[in-house]
Amino acid sequence: MSGGPLGKYVSYPSFIHKMDPRVKLFSLVLLMVAIFFQFASYEMTFIVSGILLLFIVFLMIVSHVSFKSFFSSLKSMWFIVLFLFIINCFIPPANSTNVAFNLWGLNIYWESIFQSIKIVLRLIFMIALTLVLTSTTKPMDLTYALEWYMTPFKLIGFPAHEIAMTVSIALRFIPTLLEETMRIMKAQESRGVDFKHGKLSSRLRAIVSLIVPLFVSSFQRSEELADAMEARGYDPKAKRTRFNKLTFHLSDLFALLLTAIFVTGIILISAFKIDYMNPLFFPSFILGVLFIIIYLLVFASIKANWRQKR
Amino acid sequence: MSLLTVKDLSFSYSQEENVLNGVSFVVEKGTYISLIGHNGSGKSTIAKLLAGLLEAKSGSIEAFDLEYNRKNIRKIRSRIGIVFQNPDNQFICASVKDDIAFGLENRQVDPAKMNEIILEYARKVNMEDFLDKEPENLSGGQKQRVAIAGVLAMKPDILILDEATAMLDPKGKKEINDVIKNLRTENKDLTIISITHDIEEAFESDRIIVLNNGKIALDGDKELILSHKQEIIDMGLDIPFKNKFIDALKDAQLDDVIKELYD
Repeated sequence: MSGGPLGKYVSYPSFIHKMDPRVKLFSLVLLMVAIFFQFASYEMTFIVSGILLLFIVFLMIVSHVSFKSFFSSLKSMWFIVLFLFIINCFIPPANSTNVAFNLWGLNIYWESIFQSIKIVLRLIFMIALTLVLTSTTKPMDLTYALEWYMTPFKLIGFPAHEIAMTVSIALRFIPTLLEETMRIMKAQESRGVDFKHGKLSSRLRAIVSLIVPLFVSSFQRSEELADAMEARGYDPKAKRTRFNKLTFHLSDLFALLLTAIFVTGIILISAFKIDYMNPLFFPSFILGVLFIIIYLLVFASIKANWRQKR
Repeated sequence: MSLLTVKDLSFSYSQEENVLNGVSFVVEKGTYISLIGHNGSGKSTIAKLLAGLLEAKSGSIEAFDLEYNRKNIRKIRSRIGIVFQNPDNQFICASVKDDIAFGLENRQVDPAKMNEIILEYARKVNMEDFLDKEPENLSGGQKQRVAIAGVLAMKPDILILDEATAMLDPKGKKEINDVIKNLRTENKDLTIISITHDIEEAFESDRIIVLNNGKIALDGDKELILSHKQEIIDMGLDIPFKNKFIDALKDAQLDDVIKELYD
């Protein structure tokens, strides 16, 4: 297998690793929503983005996500950045008045530049947040969390468990199938099939020689797997117990509340169009930071106490 | 006491040709039986029929005084464990621990008791140090031992090994055979039906059933097999190296050597 793919689970004894995957998933959704709010002015947007950036960097440090893998994942984004910039240059946002410079007779507005930066920042935040989630949560746990969120739909006959089981088996078989792909590629290469050189049409033909045996073996695998599951008493409709129980700890509640407060703050700033010129902004910002610090301290002390009791 | 009775069993995957043709045998409790035959002799089909994964076309199978039919099949399956050939295709969950737990979950075992059971059966197959490992990080033999632990944790009365060592290297084969030996000494009531084409392995068992073209050709102990050497070889099977060696010594009139080596 070639290298560790982006966002692969890395075991580390961090607080975020130990969090309930359901809380993590929900927090991710909350933070993703927070990223997409509009603010009173561009300056305000960048202030809030800065706060978000600090928060995300904090999350990445705490959860020990490698910045190297993060930046290498950003490398492939240069095309999107260029594309966004060009689009925004040709179609500047409404009410653009501040000309930054003139490029061959085309006015480039500051607003265009800001707009592009804003969108790129959003993208970076989204990638970073997803990276934090996937590198601190085992894929299986994520599946369990998804199943838990889909539980209410079971009432209307939605096959939540079956879908979760299918997804978890798919995740389990990714490395096995990759290995199989490599093996078939080598086998076909030894018979003279060239996957890397030649015309597009001949390469496509080469790919067919890979895909057909891969499909055949996958079907065979799925049949054998179904037999093995059935032989071990699996019945999707029947009741089962759960070995890996998701547990919601007090610390999860704290984390959830912290995220909720953080996101609420951002929503309030957006909804009331609070600008940094507003006399209320600076004091409330300081208050907010103080609150979060006190909150974390209280949480840490409660956790320490709880540990001592145990 | 007969645990399993197969009577006049026939099966075909297509209309034209029967894979099994009137196979009958009785399995006593606590015995270790090998079903041996060349590729396409129908031995894996018997394994699937016994495990209740296929339905017989004609004839009958009875286990624990229950006839194999739609009504009884769940009850019967719950007392029969089967380990398949490909170690990868029976590793259902993401880690060793979870995989052993899979059958227990289906049995609705109390999760609080699972850890203990998992550890107990992981120990039986010497996998207790690998509980958190993912299947990619295990060898074929290790994966196969996990599969055996997963099946044993469900406390079956009959353990079917469907060519469980066929895809393993010699080391993996030895690991599995050692596990089986230990199981036999630990639990005298466990009935083991091993489907194999490895005669050396078959010679470890109490009774050997030789299948040829969907029919039972021979059914008996090692002595019976050795007294039908030519037939065995004609069926595309082999006899153990040790016996071939003894024969060669006999042909060379080196009876003293045989005496010295094997008596």
